[in-house]
Amino acid sequence: MSDPPVNSADREPAGVVLPRNGGAQCREHTTGRRVGIRLQTYLGLFGSVLLVTMASFVAYIFLNQIVQFQSRLADDSIPNLSRAVEVARQSTNLVQSVVRMVSAATPEEHQSVADEVLEGRQKLTGMVKAIGAMEIFSAQAHQLSLRLNTLEALLNEIYESSGRRLEIRASLDVLVDELGVINKRLERSTGAALDDQGFFLQTGLRELDDVADPLSQRELNDELAHYWDLIEINHQTTTAGLLLGEALVLADRDLLGPIEERFQSAAQSITRVGVRLASRPDQAALVADIGRLVEIGSAVDGVLALRRETLERLERETEALNDGREASSRFLADMETLVAEVNRQAVAVNTQSQDAATTGMVLLVALTLVSVVGAVLIGWLFVGRHLIRRMVDLSGNMRDMAGGDLEVPVAVTGNDEVTDMANALEVFRRYALEVQRLNLVEKLAQELDGKNKDLEQALERLRKAQEQIVAEEKLASLGQLTAGVAHEIKNPLNFVSNFAEVSSELIDEIGEILEETEDAQSDLVEEVKEILDDLRTNLGKIREHSGRADGIVRNMLEHSRAEPGDWRETDLNALVKQYRDLAYHAIRAENTEFNLTMTDELDDDVGNVEVVPQDISRAFLNILTNACQAIEEKCAKVGKDYEPELGIASKRLADAVEFTIRDNGPGIPADLRQRMFEPFVTTKDTGKGTGLGLSLTSDIITRHGGHIDVESEVGVFTEFRIRLPLEPTRTSPE
Amino acid sequence: MRRSLLSAFAMLGWLLQSPAGAEKATGDQSQPAGDEVVFGQSAALSGPASELGMGMRLGLVAAFAEVNAAGGVDGHPLSLTTLDDAYEPEAAVANTRELIEKHEVYALVGAVGTPTSRAAQPVTSDAGVPYIAPFTGAEFLRDAKEQSNVFNVRASYFQETAEIVARLTEDLGITKIGILYQDDSYGRAGLAGVRRALDARGLPLVAEANYPRNTVIVKRALLNLRRFDPEAVVIIGAYKPAATLIRWARRLDFRPVFVNISFVGTSALAEELGADGEGVYITQVVPFPLDTGVAVVGRYQQALAASAPDAEPGFVSLEGYLAGRLVVEGLRLAGPRAPRAEFLAALRGAPPIELGGFELEYGEGDNQGSDRVYLTVIDANGDVKPTQRMVRR
Repeated sequence: MSDPPVNSADREPAGVVLPRNGGAQCREHTTGRRVGIRLQTYLGLFGSVLLVTMASFVAYIFLNQIVQFQSRLADDSIPNLSRAVEVARQSTNLVQSVVRMVSAATPEEHQSVADEVLEGRQKLTGMVKAIGAMEIFSAQAHQLSLRLNTLEALLNEIYESSGRRLEIRASLDVLVDELGVINKRLERSTGAALDDQGFFLQTGLRELDDVADPLSQRELNDELAHYWDLIEINHQTTTAGLLLGEALVLADRDLLGPIEERFQSAAQSITRVGVRLASRPDQAALVADIGRLVEIGSAVDGVLALRRETLERLERETEALNDGREASSRFLADMETLVAEVNRQAVAVNTQSQDAATTGMVLLVALTLVSVVGAVLIGWLFVGRHLIRRMVDLSGNMRDMAGGDLEVPVAVTGNDEVTDMANALEVFRRYALEVQRLNLVEKLAQELDGKNKDLEQALERLRKAQEQIVAEEKLASLGQLTAGVAHEIKNPLNFVSNFAEVSSELIDEIGEILEETEDAQSDLVEEVKEILDDLRTNLGKIREHSGRADGIVRNMLEHSRAEPGDWRETDLNALVKQYRDLAYHAIRAENTEFNLTMTDELDDDVGNVEVVPQDISRAFLNILTNACQAIEEKCAKVGKDYEPELGIASKRLADAVEFTIRDNGPGIPADLRQRMFEPFVTTKDTGKGTGLGLSLTSDIITRHGGHIDVESEVGVFTEFRIRLPLEPTRTSPE
Repeated sequence: MRRSLLSAFAMLGWLLQSPAGAEKATGDQSQPAGDEVVFGQSAALSGPASELGMGMRLGLVAAFAEVNAAGGVDGHPLSLTTLDDAYEPEAAVANTRELIEKHEVYALVGAVGTPTSRAAQPVTSDAGVPYIAPFTGAEFLRDAKEQSNVFNVRASYFQETAEIVARLTEDLGITKIGILYQDDSYGRAGLAGVRRALDARGLPLVAEANYPRNTVIVKRALLNLRRFDPEAVVIIGAYKPAATLIRWARRLDFRPVFVNISFVGTSALAEELGADGEGVYITQVVPFPLDTGVAVVGRYQQALAASAPDAEPGFVSLEGYLAGRLVVEGLRLAGPRAPRAEFLAALRGAPPIELGGFELEYGEGDNQGSDRVYLTVIDANGDVKPTQRMVRR
């Protein structure tokens, strides 16, 4: 950051030849102490890490503080709080259990509730002791245990009293059952006794088998008194039973007094009458029942006494319960004070903890901000401005160079690895610039050479074309010459032919004349006739051969016709046959010993095909002439063992016709086969062939939209295959 | 073809079952294989009405044993659980609850008495448990709409008292009729029946007396009746007080025609009265139990002999047997595992159930099977005899 940018142009002289130690030279030019990129990066990273570490350290200190406060809260305040709450809950439970103990219906229930109460008391006592042992509660602990003692005394009282009450209830249940039985029995027995006594008073009969006796007045008085006694007993026992029933369901102790009093008077009446009834022998059961009834009611452990005790005990228990409730609520109030104290402590610790958290958060946020700002500054100032921008510049320079622009010089700044890279790139740029210049010269020379070769080739082609034109011109003039010669020969041939004809007719006339002579049988005549016959034969031969000559001439005329040919329906089979003969005879005319076996497999389906016959015949002639010449050559070489053959064949294809011309001549070597359709390629001695024959043939076939190819094996055979379309593309010759 | 195939399958089933059946038979005398169908009975097995409760139980057990011996109802044996209520309504309620809740009985059957039924029947209708053949002719159990779970076998007290009044007036030409009734719902039901029958004839009830239930305190009632000198006394009561009254009346030479209704307990009454019983009439709601001319009585005697060889045939046990037969028919109609509502519906919709000389017919609005009232009389030997009409002696 400290190095000011220095333009390389100031330090580096522009030149074609670069010093090899350009980089070192650059370094000499930089000013100030060198600080390496590694050191710079480490410094930047170290700065950032330092800031983050400071922030983390501050956060750790405050978090530690919070943890300490929280652990105080968790270890002391919260357990204290929950202990106090537990004590309060336990005391409330205890009071509720006592209520259940008071209302217990069976001794079992009573005992189970009592066990519960005992357990609860022990727990509570233990808890209160535990609380007292704690420092913060030591002041309140004494008061709490005093209150607990009061509560326990009340609990004991209620426990004993309610237990006794249940015993009483059990005794009462037994008495009530007995009372029910006795009441029912008394109802029946007093009813029956009354019924019997009334019946006796009216009828004087007690038993069915009694005899009715009249009663004395005194007896009657006694029996009447007994009847009244029975009525009294019936009434008083019913009353006593009802009173006892009432006492059993009574809840108000004050109302028990009047009932007791009324029962006493009923009991007195019953006892008084009972004494009188006891004197009558048949009433023993009744007397026993009424005695028992009085006893059940008024005995020390009778219904009324037990009922009174029950009501008194209930009253006392209710009082004790209320006292207990009060004691419990005072106890609870103490506990509430304790809970409030513990709660206050907890709140205080919590507040401290929250304060520490707030302070820590504020500091942490501030330090985080500082860290972020520091990191941004490091990133922006150092990495961004100092390193990355310079590397981006270098990268731009490299892209320019890659794109071919080597003219822009590389800026070199600072004193670090990037500076080295810039120096190296500058050196590279200059080398590249030099190399580029050298390459340009060489490339121009090469291009020139290439152009030269092109020109030579063009020249060669031009020459060949010229030769072709000359040859074609020659051929054209030869054709004209041939036409002229042919025309001239045609007239003498006509004469020869015509005169031979006429001569033949004349010989016939001579013959007739000789027939008409008398001495027709004479030897002379015979001899003349023989001569005439020979003459006639000779004339025939003249005519035949002149005809042949005429044919040849006509062909020549046709072949050499100068005007461009017309497209005509042509019998190609006939054409190929005709030119095969022509080629053969042309050779044979020079070499009479020349002979060959000719075969033809011509397909009649070929028929007429639309072609330019003049051109096609020339193509056929070229190929057939070549074949004949090749065979002749081979004959001369091989001698008599060789049996020359020339075969022509045609075949109708789907949309074309194919002609095959095959000879068993010397064959064509492979290298020649490749270029044989090019112009001026020939194997013949100079002057014997133009080298244009096959070239022209190929052109003709191509113009017909057809195709020609060749197959050959040296020393065995050569086969040309010409394919012509049935519907030719009419490419007119130029 | 199809039938023979079915019977072949049935035979196969029988063959497969028979080993199990044989094994069962060795352990328990011909107990069917299916789950037991348990019926409950709350009746007096002690006290002055105990003869009635015992008799009903005897007949029911005989009927159940008979059907169990034949394989039960679709393979399910029937059993009876009886609790003693000593003819006390409170006990009857407690027993009925216990039978329904603890013993989970399918139905209550053969309860004895009007006040007990009056107390116990609401318990059953609340629980949806059928209340079959109570031994009472009380009218309130014959209201088929109110008591949809009740099915009675016997004719009502009204029908019995109507028959009594008809016989007294038509056969004997009696017009001065008095009544002794038990001072409870049973007695009052009989009282109402007698009044209705007399009102229908335009006759007054000349004497009226009552006695406390479960006692023999009848002497004052006797003296009350005697004051009005009725020609006939209809007794709506139990056999002990009735017998006591009749014997004391004989002792006092008070000789009206005594007529009891079926609930009195005919055999017990005859036994109690001995020679004093001559000429005492009792109406019945079942055929004479020794009259084997009635088919169902013959079967009853066989069943009773099989299940309780020592027991004498009697009216009460015959009624118990008929009640048992009714239950069996109901189970057969509805199926032994049918819900109770289906059992009741099956009885309600059943065609007349012909038990052999005794027909039970139910329907919508009719939960009383029989309307028949029979008349019997105690002869000089103290034996009970069937009779068609009353005669003056």
